[in-house]
Amino acid sequence: MYSKFELCGSMSKKPLLLLFIIPQCLWGQAKFVNDTLFANSDSVVVTATRTERKLNNLTVPVTIINAKTIQQNGSLRLTDILKEQTGINLTSGFGSGIQLQGLNPDYTIILINGEPLVGRTAGVLDLNRIALGNIKKIEIVKGPSSSLYGSEAMAGVINIITDASTGAPLTMGLRYGTYNTVDANLETKLQTKNFQYQGFLNSYNTDGYSIRPNSNSRVTTPIDRYSTTQQIKWDITSKTNFLLNTRFTNEQIQNEIAVANNGVTIYSIGKENIKDVNVAATLNHRFSKALKTSIRTYTTTYDAVQNLSTINGLPYRDVLNHNFKRVENQTDWNLSKKIQAIFGLGAVWEGVKSSRYDSEKIRKQNDIQYAFTQWEWKPSEQFTLIGGLRFDQNRQFASAYSPKISMLYKLNPQHQFRFSIGQGFKAPDFRQLFLDFTNAAAGSYSVFGSAQAQQVIAKLEALGQIGNLFPNYYLLKALKPEYSNGVHFTWDWKINTRSAMSLQLFRNDIKNLIETQQVGTYISGAQIYSYLNIGRAFTTGFELEGQHTINSNWSLSGGYQYLRTGDKDQIADIKSGTVYTKNSQGYSRIMKLNEYVGLPNTSKHKLQAKVNYNSPKGYYYNLRAIYRSKWAVNNNNGNEVFDNGDVFASGYVAVNSAAGKSFKNGISLQAGIDNISNYIDAANLPNLPGRTFYTTVKYQLQKNKK
Amino acid sequence: MKKNLTKFTLFLSLALALVACSKKEETIVVPVTVSTLTVNDLAADTVTGLGADGRPQSAGTTTYYSLVDNKVIASTDAATTKWDIAFSSTKILVNSGTSGPGLGGAFVFKGLFDDLKTIPADSSFATDNSTAASYAIPLGSGRAWYTYDGLTTLVSPIAGRVLVIRTANGKYAKIEILNYYKGGVTLASTASVNDKLFKQRYYTFRYAYQPNGSKTF
Repeated sequence: MYSKFELCGSMSKKPLLLLFIIPQCLWGQAKFVNDTLFANSDSVVVTATRTERKLNNLTVPVTIINAKTIQQNGSLRLTDILKEQTGINLTSGFGSGIQLQGLNPDYTIILINGEPLVGRTAGVLDLNRIALGNIKKIEIVKGPSSSLYGSEAMAGVINIITDASTGAPLTMGLRYGTYNTVDANLETKLQTKNFQYQGFLNSYNTDGYSIRPNSNSRVTTPIDRYSTTQQIKWDITSKTNFLLNTRFTNEQIQNEIAVANNGVTIYSIGKENIKDVNVAATLNHRFSKALKTSIRTYTTTYDAVQNLSTINGLPYRDVLNHNFKRVENQTDWNLSKKIQAIFGLGAVWEGVKSSRYDSEKIRKQNDIQYAFTQWEWKPSEQFTLIGGLRFDQNRQFASAYSPKISMLYKLNPQHQFRFSIGQGFKAPDFRQLFLDFTNAAAGSYSVFGSAQAQQVIAKLEALGQIGNLFPNYYLLKALKPEYSNGVHFTWDWKINTRSAMSLQLFRNDIKNLIETQQVGTYISGAQIYSYLNIGRAFTTGFELEGQHTINSNWSLSGGYQYLRTGDKDQIADIKSGTVYTKNSQGYSRIMKLNEYVGLPNTSKHKLQAKVNYNSPKGYYYNLRAIYRSKWAVNNNNGNEVFDNGDVFASGYVAVNSAAGKSFKNGISLQAGIDNISNYIDAANLPNLPGRTFYTTVKYQLQKNKK
Repeated sequence: MKKNLTKFTLFLSLALALVACSKKEETIVVPVTVSTLTVNDLAADTVTGLGADGRPQSAGTTTYYSLVDNKVIASTDAATTKWDIAFSSTKILVNSGTSGPGLGGAFVFKGLFDDLKTIPADSSFATDNSTAASYAIPLGSGRAWYTYDGLTTLVSPIAGRVLVIRTANGKYAKIEILNYYKGGVTLASTASVNDKLFKQRYYTFRYAYQPNGSKTF
């Protein structure tokens, strides 16, 4: 049932990580707090409520990763830092995506300064695209409670925030590492009384790496990636400001593939060019202390072209062009000290051209109009209740409401409880509707989007190409959106001034899951697939995180996630005794429920731990370990469900370490080793290279002391 | 190819049923004893090499088999009723329709081999019709007896599927396909391309044939 095309993988999620935070917010006037371990309760979070809020006052679980952590961990790309968070695992089909709470990457929205990134292949956004050099912090909101950003954020929202308002006027960084990997950063900041500018330039070049023995094909291919972001903030008056964010990424990937079969090696050369442009302009105006409004406009284009030429074969060209435009207004109104309201409405125009659709020249279009509101009631310092509702009207699909409710209860300074429940929905994407793809390289199977599968297949049938049509071919109809419900409960406990922990319980249920299903065969026997609403799935579990400060220099932190997942229809079938499995002789027998392992690519356990050292003299050292337990990757014992007899990727441990020193003159040095134990699993973990070393030099021009 | 007599199955339930009824009925019913036989490594159009298109090449042969006699039948006898079932890569034919002159037919039963004690009375046996690409045992992954994984390029027999066969002489048999690879061992997904290529198309299956013409095994 879980398709080979959506190799999405792992999952996980992390809750309330209490790290030191650099306070800041887009509206300015953030309160500065001491950068101590527990100062985070005052840290400002923008993602959860789409307006600045202290972390301590949020009703939903939010994890903040600040710039210092990113830098001290030696993280270059967004994937580097996310994989070290509690319960987040990387997936490795179609670029590196992430799974939160056992849900596929397409259920997590990735935002840069509040605006979504586009350009997903098979639902996966490649997060290696995002350089971390100029990032101030990353906020991760879990659960479908974040309907402010779009109803499809069933797993959560990751917001990457850059900020022009703080920092040194000039920063330069250069890093060199294994596989000839060079990463160079240049960041400038200009600041006048009412004007702030930040410019950032990053170049990343690598030879890529090969972890398959006796193979010259590289798992990560040579990449040249350049990205630049520009951010302008202009305070037009004391009540009005204007923000402009632009981002441009250009990458070239060269892929030399050699396939050896039976002594014959077929060489092919692939070249991929990806351009990603984002422009966001926001005008903020504050009418009074109680009323402010923002108008946001955003446009983004993702353009990927892949050319593959083989020595003995037809050249292959794959084009994906996705554009997305959005206009939105949000008004925040404090009706009273106890009641605050947010109102928003907006429209999205979206279009995709792809050579994997019927014609790469015709742009498939969709538009969405939406409105949302959120009401916050704070009857006392101890209790906050937030209710929100989002309405989306989708031109291609039925419109839908996504409600949510969340609350915070502060029992006392030590104990806080959060509870949230929300609903989300995800409309079928362009691929699920319009894909028209035949993989000539792998058995000539085809996948047709549901909107045109019957039409295309009828044409093929008229040409005598169709061998068989399965019963579910006749069930193909307009896809319905997927619906999800999520429930989260969080308990935060500040044990003492040095120790804190949090426990989060979660459960997500999805129905109408859109899955790839075989609907027929060609006369040659090759498969024909399309998409149907068939599944009902759940993910549930808990996360436990803790942090302890040993003394002013040393601290420990760690997190654990326990996760169960499953397909409810499969479980019902297993219970009714109609699911079989085979023993080693090949004899069938009835499968038992305790053999069921749930959804593929999900691990029951994920553990991560970190030892951190910081000295007043600017020395730092950290040692980070990640453990992920085994996960099912392939179904090979004759049934459609994943059970103990299937193929698993082994559980593994990866250990990373970095050390550095910051000098008073603005120079800082860092050296690090990733994957110290050199754990390699080429088939299942292509995004984990072997042991890599790196060293970084950074120079920060010091601000004139005032 | 070896033929092993591996297992005898007595259907005690039937005997018990007889005991239960014996007070009333004087009729003597002969207890049905059908042996289960296992056929190992039956080659079915094995691969000769890799084509320029990247697909396996083979001679396109078909292996004919007699369930009655538990032996391979020469392909020169393809147009006779000497054979009951035939194999060519993942395609399985029965001696019927366009495939042969016999009284053959088949359908796919979902359940366990041992649980299929009597062929349900309302079962309908399909026959082969190659011109309509319609076979008694349907072709294709996920349909009759196997799934094909395009990523690992492996063929796995589906658990809980029994091929119910009407033989060329109009009697009944049941078959469970156990494996598609040489030696009866499913290849690991990481097996070499050569192994995946050259060890495939070797059927291991078990079957029971009821010579008395009844639908009970």
